[in-house]
Amino acid sequence: MKAGVRNLVTIFIAMLLTVLLPVLPVQAARPELQIEIRDHLFYPSVVKVPANTKIKLVVINRDPTPEEFESYELNREKVIMGGQKAIIFIGPLAPGVYPFFGEFNPKTAQGKVIAE
Amino acid sequence: MSLHSATRLIPRLTPKLALKFVTRFALFLPGLPALADGNLVDRVYDPYVDALETEIEWRAVGARDSDEPELDGLWQHRLGVGYGFSDRWFGEVYAIGEKQPQDDFEVEAVELEAKWQLTEQGEYAADWGMLFELEREFSANQWEAAATLITARDWGRWTGSANLALEYEWGRVSEEFETELRAQARYRLSPHFEPALEFYAAEDLLGIGPVAVGSWRLDGGRQLRWEVGVIQGLTSESPDQTLRLLLEYEFF
Repeated sequence: MKAGVRNLVTIFIAMLLTVLLPVLPVQAARPELQIEIRDHLFYPSVVKVPANTKIKLVVINRDPTPEEFESYELNREKVIMGGQKAIIFIGPLAPGVYPFFGEFNPKTAQGKVIAE
Repeated sequence: MSLHSATRLIPRLTPKLALKFVTRFALFLPGLPALADGNLVDRVYDPYVDALETEIEWRAVGARDSDEPELDGLWQHRLGVGYGFSDRWFGEVYAIGEKQPQDDFEVEAVELEAKWQLTEQGEYAADWGMLFELEREFSANQWEAAATLITARDWGRWTGSANLALEYEWGRVSEEFETELRAQARYRLSPHFEPALEFYAAEDLLGIGPVAVGSWRLDGGRQLRWEVGVIQGLTSESPDQTLRLLLEYEFF
């Protein structure tokens, strides 16, 4: 293996360890919340979550058409096919309000996550 | 004319129409010289896949180098069309062309790319994906296959991404293994403008420089994304400066 290759591999492994080691034990049970999409609306449209906690959102699309859960503030976008569900992990969030919307029906499909 | 009304003039593209467009571009003309290799910056990938999304992508890099006449003024362009087949797999096909300082622009290679999202965003400490690429240069009968490990992680409004690529080249011009490391630290200031810093390390490239990223959301689930950056070479083999540009049109 050339010296350059060795150096690159070493740098990358060091980066991975830096990223992973402090957080490997994070696989504890997480609060789980459910949101439904019906007639291009989110139910509930306001979701309260504990601040500084990772949350598992289960988004169930009851409509026959796909919808995309989108939020720049939450840094998430996820397409949920018609009649299917998707899991979206959010947080840990600082206290505040984080709006989200449905990319395919942005005028009706709107909601917000409130972390407190 | 507003951006929204201007974009309504863009015809409604289907994945089939977009693929036809790129294929025609690729078949335009086979070129003669081999592609620049091992010394040009690319882009830093994230590990995420958007199901059902079609994208048309143009990206270009232009190099300046006072020591290497072959690099000084070189432009490499990629035009691609991609589609999210599921929430785990995204495929893209590219036509790659180069404008050497002393030659005309030539389309010289095609590339197939598949991105595999391995973990759900935010589920673990870092998000993971893989990128597989297969490239063929027409004239030199030269092939390149690459497997790239992609990782990303958020720290508040900061997002860090890293790509480690292992590449194998074979054919008439050369046969060798290469590795490449690409990394980006990006601050999510607003959807329209996100400043970032990128780092590249490859066979004949060591560079770092500022990059700006942004997107404009259009109606009907469409989006325009752009990236602009200048990478400063840190070694004599690297281009002195490389300008990198990217424009993506995404739609469902």
